[in-house]
Amino acid sequence: MNEQLGYLGAKIPLKIYGLSEKSVTITFGTAIDNDLLGLITNFNQLLLQNPFSGLITTVSAYTTLTVFFDPLCVMLSDLPGEVCFEKVSSHLNKIAQIERGKSKVIANKMVIPVCYGGDFGRDLLTVAHANNLTETEVIDIHTAGQYTIFMIGFVPGFAYMGGMDTRLSTHRKEVPNAKIPAGSVGIAGNQTGIYPMETPGGWQIIGRTPLKMFDVNRLQPSLLKGGDMVVFKAIGIKEFNAYAEL
Amino acid sequence: MSMKISIIKPGLLSTVQDMGRYRYLSQAVPVSGAMDELAHRLSNKAVGNDDNHATIEFTYADASFKAETPILISYSGDGACLVYNNELMPAEKPLFFPAGSIIKLIHNAIGVRTYLAIAGGWDVPDVMGSKSTYLTAAFGGFKGRALQKADVLMGGAINSEVSIRILERLINRSLTYPNWRISRESLLPEKRQSIRVVLANEISWFDATSIISFLTNFYTIDRRSNRMGYHLLGKPLVRKVKKEMLSTAVTPGVIQVTGSGDLVILMADCQTTGGYPRIAHVAAVDLPLCAQLKPGDAIRFSEISRDEAEALYFERERDLSLITTAISLKYIKT
Repeated sequence: MNEQLGYLGAKIPLKIYGLSEKSVTITFGTAIDNDLLGLITNFNQLLLQNPFSGLITTVSAYTTLTVFFDPLCVMLSDLPGEVCFEKVSSHLNKIAQIERGKSKVIANKMVIPVCYGGDFGRDLLTVAHANNLTETEVIDIHTAGQYTIFMIGFVPGFAYMGGMDTRLSTHRKEVPNAKIPAGSVGIAGNQTGIYPMETPGGWQIIGRTPLKMFDVNRLQPSLLKGGDMVVFKAIGIKEFNAYAEL
Repeated sequence: MSMKISIIKPGLLSTVQDMGRYRYLSQAVPVSGAMDELAHRLSNKAVGNDDNHATIEFTYADASFKAETPILISYSGDGACLVYNNELMPAEKPLFFPAGSIIKLIHNAIGVRTYLAIAGGWDVPDVMGSKSTYLTAAFGGFKGRALQKADVLMGGAINSEVSIRILERLINRSLTYPNWRISRESLLPEKRQSIRVVLANEISWFDATSIISFLTNFYTIDRRSNRMGYHLLGKPLVRKVKKEMLSTAVTPGVIQVTGSGDLVILMADCQTTGGYPRIAHVAAVDLPLCAQLKPGDAIRFSEISRDEAEALYFERERDLSLITTAISLKYIKT
C-alpha cells in the first residue's frame, strides 16, 4: 500500500528534508504508483509556474520532488522564515494549497519506433527463451504495452519506465557489455529502457530506436521527461535508416 | 587582442570547467563544474573575471603549456605549482607572461586539483548554459574531452574593467605580477582532515553504534575515486532498516552508504539520482577540501547542524565578495 504523505488534503504540511545548502526534497509517498507520479508532476508544474525568487530547477523521482535554489536569492527574498529551509518550505506549502482541479496534467504520449532483433537486438532470442515465447511474441507484447516515465536518471536522458508486462521479465546479464550503442532498447528484470548514449550496460538488448533520446542541441535535450507516457512501434530496417537520415 | 595558449603536455586529466550546469538536472545532466569551487573562483577573481568564467582544472602536475600571445593568467589549488624559468610562481595573483613563455606545472604534495584562469575566461562554447566538461557524455568544455597535446585554447573577450586595468599595469616585455595576492589560506580551516557534515534524511536507518563510528573513526580515500565520487575505506556501517530505497535526487557532497556498508562521497560529476541511503552531506564550505583529497588520505567527519552549515555558507560568500571588492578598489577609483 502506498502511504501518501501530506499534500493530498492540502491541510497537512508537506514532508520536506534538506538535501544540501542549495536543495530540499519533498517526500510525497512511499511506493511507486501512477497516481503519485501524477501528483508529483502536477505539483512540479505548479511550482515552475509559480516560482520563488532563487528557484533554479527541480528533479522529480518515484516518490519525491527535489528543489534546487540559490541560497543568496532566497535569503534576500521576503518569504517568511529565518533560514533558507524555512523560506523555501513556506513557499512549497503555499503551492500545495493551490486548487489542483483546474490544472490537471495531461501526460505527453510519445511513440518510439524500434527496429527489433537482428544486429540491433542481439538478446531478443535470450528474452524469448527465458520466457518460453517466440521472438515475434516478445515484440508483440513489448509493443502492446503502455509505459509510464517515472523519472530521468543514471545518464542524461535515461528514462526509468514502469508498466512492462511481466511475461517479458528477464535477468540482467552477469557480465555487462562494455559498449551498448545509443538508442538500444533493453530489458532488465521487470524494467525496460532505452540507452540514450553509448555506455557500458548489463541489460538484455532487444532492439534499437533511430530517435536521438538525448541531443544537446535541442531546447529540451532529453526526448522524454518524468510523467510522459510511451508506446513502442515496431519498424523495419528501411524505416530505421530513413529515420536515422533525418 | 585575443590571448592564446597551446598545450605542450596535458597532464593526467585536464578539463575546462566553470561553476556547473544546474538547469538540466531533471534530464539527468550532472552538475559537473570545478571540483574545488573555491580555488576555481579565486583564480578567476585574481584576474578580474566573474566567478563563473571557465578555468582549466588540472589533475596533479606533469603538465605544461606555451603562451602563444602575451597572457594574463592566475592559478589556485593544491595539485601543482606553476613554474617559469625554474622560478616558482605565486598563486592567487595575476601573472603576466610575454608571448613564447613556457609554463610548467610541478608537483604539489598537498592535493590534487589546480585551476588556471585567463583574463576573459577560456573561450569554449556554452552547452546547455555551461562551459563545464562532462566526459561520460562527451559534451561541454573543449570539444567534450580532456585536453590533449597541441590543443590551442583561446581566452575570451576581456570585458571586465578590473581585468583591463590589471593588464594595463602589468603589460611588459617580461614576466610581471603585482605585490598583492588573495589569501586562500585564510578561507580554509587549519585542520583540513576534518570534514564538517550535516546528517541526512536516512540517518535513522543506521544503528547508533554505526553513527558514532561514522563521526569518530578515520576513513581513507580509496583508489576508486574520481570526479564522480570517492569511495572511502573504513569500518562498514550497519543498517537497522533493511528496506530498499527508491531512487531520488542526489547532489555533490551527499554521502551514500552502499549495500556493503561502505561510504561514497558524491562529487561534481555524480549522477543526478541515487538509490542508496544517505548518512550525511558534506557542508558546502568543506566540499573544496574534499576536492583536494587523494587516495591514501585519511579524513574524519564532524557533525554540524543544517543552520550552522548555512551560516558558514553565507560567511564564505561574504568573504568572497569582500575579496572581489578589495581587488576592484585597487584598480578602479570610485
